[in-house]
Amino acid sequence: MGSQENYEAIPIGMDLGTFEMTLDEETVKNRIELVHWQAKGLAEKGFAPPGITISHHARMKFAALPEMRVSIWAKSEQEFLKPMKLGSKIFIRGRIVDKYVKRGRNYMVTDLETVDEAGEVLLRSRETAIYVE
Amino acid sequence: MERAIKQINIGEEIPSLTKTAYMPIDPNTRNVIHTDDYAQDFGMRGALIGGSTLLSYILEMLYNYFGENWLYHGKIKVSFIGGGAINGDVVTAHGQVSAVEPEEDGNRLILDVWMDNQDGGKIAIGEASCIQTTS
Repeated sequence: MGSQENYEAIPIGMDLGTFEMTLDEETVKNRIELVHWQAKGLAEKGFAPPGITISHHARMKFAALPEMRVSIWAKSEQEFLKPMKLGSKIFIRGRIVDKYVKRGRNYMVTDLETVDEAGEVLLRSRETAIYVE
Repeated sequence: MERAIKQINIGEEIPSLTKTAYMPIDPNTRNVIHTDDYAQDFGMRGALIGGSTLLSYILEMLYNYFGENWLYHGKIKVSFIGGGAINGDVVTAHGQVSAVEPEEDGNRLILDVWMDNQDGGKIAIGEASCIQTTS
């Protein structure tokens, strides 16, 4: 199947599965170092920096779409509802909610929800990215 | 939970945040836009810094201003434009108040947000908002 056929075959509503991660000390420290986060006060309160899990959203798409070679963020919408706590386990659930072609490029829209172990929603995300094989 | 912050008027900017953009290049990455070869073939200057990294810089600026309120009431919507950022670019996140809207929990401050690079080119534009309390 060709690249465009693969894209067209991706169903709207496709489940991207659930990604689970623990916000342990090393994970949080690595992210803080990667983005040079310097704002004070979060760790003392037991919170991880906002957005710490967002880089995993693209990984979920790559895991679910083996033909995809490139995903370039075009738009990002994030709603922060509760802090992510150090040491806690979080779960990211995602699905494809739309696709469209614009100026010859294939776009994909995904909705994701990050929840804690109690099922409380911590972060709601809608992301649009260019899909390339 | 909430931090009292100084009253700010429509049109005023919150403190900006400047970073030297950096993301390690992993030659084995699945997303090859983060490699020099593919990104240059795609018309970019080099391996693109991930959008989540650029977004983190904007989020840090917003957390600096709104404090813990951001973790409970923060909303952001941005588009990535202008060819993105590569390692070594000096990028600055900005926010300018565009409106204040009353909500049940307090006033929601709405800001135009953007990120520019060392050449003054915009690489992200959008809007953010958060409930604030004032002193």
